[in-house]
Amino acid sequence: MKFVCEKNAFAREVSFAQEIIASKNALSVMSNVLLDADSDGLAIKATDIKVAFETRIPVEVSDSGAATVFCDKLSGILASIPEGDIELEADDSKAVVKPTFKKVRFQLKTIASDKFPELPAIDEAAYFSVPARELKDMISQTVFAVSDDETRYFMNGVFLERTDDGLAMVATDGRRLAYVRKHLEATIPEFKGVIVPPKILHLIQKRASDEGLIELAVTEKNLFVKFGSYRISSVLIEGQFPNYQKVIPESQKHTLTVKRSDLVDALKRVSIFVEQKSRRTFLELSGGSIAIASEESELGAAREEIPCRYSEEDVTIALNYRYIEDPLKVMSCEDVSIEFSEPTRAITLRPEPASDYFHIVMPMVLE
Amino acid sequence: MSGPRARPVVFHLDLDAFYASVEQLDRPELAGKPVIVGALPGHRGVVSTCSYEARAFGVRSAMPVSEAFRRCPEGNFVPVRMERYVELSRRVMAIFGDFTPDVRRISIDEAFLDMTGTEKLFGPPREAAARLKARVRAETGLTVSAGVAPNRYLAKIASGLGKPDGLTVVEPGGEEAFMARLPLDKLWGAGGKTRERLVEYGIDTVARLAAFPETALAAIFGKAGAAFLWRAARGIDPGIFADEPKSRSASTETTFERDVDDEATLEATLLDLASQLALRAFKEGFSSRTVVLKLRTHDFVTKSSRATREGPVTGLDELYRDGVRLLRKLWNGAPVRLIGLGLANLDEGAGAQGELFAPEGEKKARVERAVFELEAKGKGTVTRARLVGPGAPKPRGLPPDIDPKERRGP
Repeated sequence: MKFVCEKNAFAREVSFAQEIIASKNALSVMSNVLLDADSDGLAIKATDIKVAFETRIPVEVSDSGAATVFCDKLSGILASIPEGDIELEADDSKAVVKPTFKKVRFQLKTIASDKFPELPAIDEAAYFSVPARELKDMISQTVFAVSDDETRYFMNGVFLERTDDGLAMVATDGRRLAYVRKHLEATIPEFKGVIVPPKILHLIQKRASDEGLIELAVTEKNLFVKFGSYRISSVLIEGQFPNYQKVIPESQKHTLTVKRSDLVDALKRVSIFVEQKSRRTFLELSGGSIAIASEESELGAAREEIPCRYSEEDVTIALNYRYIEDPLKVMSCEDVSIEFSEPTRAITLRPEPASDYFHIVMPMVLE
Repeated sequence: MSGPRARPVVFHLDLDAFYASVEQLDRPELAGKPVIVGALPGHRGVVSTCSYEARAFGVRSAMPVSEAFRRCPEGNFVPVRMERYVELSRRVMAIFGDFTPDVRRISIDEAFLDMTGTEKLFGPPREAAARLKARVRAETGLTVSAGVAPNRYLAKIASGLGKPDGLTVVEPGGEEAFMARLPLDKLWGAGGKTRERLVEYGIDTVARLAAFPETALAAIFGKAGAAFLWRAARGIDPGIFADEPKSRSASTETTFERDVDDEATLEATLLDLASQLALRAFKEGFSSRTVVLKLRTHDFVTKSSRATREGPVTGLDELYRDGVRLLRKLWNGAPVRLIGLGLANLDEGAGAQGELFAPEGEKKARVERAVFELEAKGKGTVTRARLVGPGAPKPRGLPPDIDPKERRGP
C-alpha cells in the first residue's frame, strides 16, 4: 500500500480513531488503526470491540492495499510534523511515514490487516434520519444522568425508544432521571427500546456538526450512526431498563419558578460550603423567595436568598447539589420551575414555559 | 507533661470463645458443657465458635460441622445468634472505650487499645488490664484474655498465651526474650505450611528462627515472607495490623486456624463477617458506599480491594454480594490465612439519598430490619439459611433470599 495525502486531513481522522481505541498495548491489533487504500481513496477504521469507527478520505493512491499501525504513535507522528503532503507506504511488517518536504522518516511496525476484527455492518435501508441539532440536544439533556455504578449496568447507558411521533431518551442513576422527547417529521421504523452506552453519544456530541442530518439504525445488539463521512456503531447494553414511567410524577401539588441564572449563581456560591461527600443542599421555600443553604459544619455555612414566584406554604427540601446543578447546566431557558408535592417525594425540574424535556430528582433525608 | 515521651503501651483484648460463652451465659444449663455454635449437625456448614469444653474433643472453628459432630457427638450444637453477640460485643467495646479513646476493633470479639500515656489514670499497664478484665466480667459475665505489650503484634500473641481469662504482659525491652521462649506455633501469622517448611530447615523454635539471617529466609519464603518472619521473631511489629486510612471505617476479620483454600468455606466465612458488619451498621446507624475485602494468603502477602457503589450499601445481601465479587477478583486460589470485610468512608447514614426505584436491596434491608427486630424481641431466631446449613452453601451461588418464614425454635 502506498499513498500521498494532505497531512492535516489525515491527522484529523487518525486522532478521531485514537479516541475510539481503548487498548494501550502496542502489540495488540486492538491498539491499531486500519488503513485501507484503493481507487476510491483511503478507509480508516478503529474499534475498541464495543464501538467501531470508520471513515474515508480522498488520497492519491499509487498502490492499493491495507495494513494496521499503532494508532497512538501514528497520531504522535502526524502531530509533530508541519502542514503539507505526506507519503505513507506499508506492507505486512512495517509502515514508513515521511513528509514530502522534509528529510525525516518514521518507521512503524504493522500488523496484517486480516488480523483486524470484522466491524459490524447493516443494510443501508435500515437507516432513518434525525436532524443533528435535535439529536445532539437530546443527548445533552440526558447523557450526564447515566449511572457509572457497574452493579447497575442496565443504568450505564441512555435508554432510546420510539414514541408515536418521534424519539425519546431517558437516563437515570436511580436517584435522578433525565427525560427528553422530540417530535420528528421523518417516520421512525419500529424498534424495541435500547440502552446506548455513553461513549458513542459523546462522540456524536463532539464530532457531529449541528447542521444537517444524522442517520441512525437500531438492531437488537447495535446502534449504527452515520454523519459526514463517518460511520460509527456501538454494541448496546443488554438488560432491562427500569420502568421509568412509574417514577415520573403525573402531577405535582406545588410549583415555584425562578430565574435559571439566579439559581445557578447562588448554587455556585453556596457549594463552597456544601459537604463534599453527601453534597446535601437545602432549598428553603417561603413566600416570594427561595434560600439555598449548605449544611452547617465545623468550617462554616453558606446561605443565599433569591427571589422566586412561590406563594404557598413554607417548606424545606434537601437535595444532592449535583443533581440540581447538572440539569441546570444543560438547560438553556430563562426561567426554570421546580415542582413538588412533599419534601420526601421526587421533584420535577423543568423549563418555564414547559418544553420537551424535564428532570426528576429524588430528595435526600432532611435529618 | 514532663519527662521523656510516654512509652507505647498496647492492649490486645480477646473475648474467650465468644459466641459459645454467650450461649453458656444465656443458658446456664450449658455451662461447663461442650457448646458448638454454627451449622447444625446433619447440615452442611462450618463451626463458628466452640466452647473450651468442646475444644477438648478436638473441635475447632471453621471445621465442617459433620466433622465436629463425629468428634463430639454429645456436644450441644446451637445456631448463631448474631444479634445477641453484637449486643454484648457493643457493651464490651463500650467498656474498652472508657479506658482509652483509641479502641481499634478488629472483629466482633477482638480489639486493640492504645493505652500509651494512661498510667496516671489507670495505674501501671498490668493493673489497668486487670481492672478492665474485672469490669467486663462484672458487667457482662464474660471473660476476656488480655495481652499487654509495646506493640500490637506482641500484644496479639500475648493475649493468646493465657487463654482463657489470661493476662500476659511483655515488658518494654523484653520483646526479644519473650519471643525466644515461644514455640513455633505461637508465632502469630505463620501458618501450618510455613511452620512445616521452617522445620524442614531445622528451625523448630522462634529462638532458632531469630538466629537465621533475613537473606537466607528470603531464599525460602520470598521477600515479604522473610521480612515478616525476621521481624516477628524479634518481637518487632511486622505491620500486620497496619493503620487504616484516617477516615472512619468499620471492619471485621477472621484468621483461620488452618489455611483455607476452599471457596465455599471462604464464602461461608464472608457471610458470617457480613452479618456481623451489617448488624453493627444497623445498630449504630452508619452507612457506607465502599466495601473493602482483605485477604492474607499463606505466603504473608496481604491484599485488599474495594468496590464503591453509587449509593450506600443497603443490608446484608449487598454487603455479602460485594464481598463475594471482590473475593473472586482478589483471590488467586492460594491458601488463605485471614479474611476481612469492611466498610470504608462511613458517613453515619446522614444525608441519605432517596431512591427513585425501590431497589431490591432496600426491600431486603427492610426484611432484614424486621428480622433483627424480631430477634431483639427474643421471639425465636431467624437466621440466614447459609449460616445454619439447610440451604447448603452452594460453591458458586449467590446467597439464598431471606425467607422470613424460615424460623427455628430456640
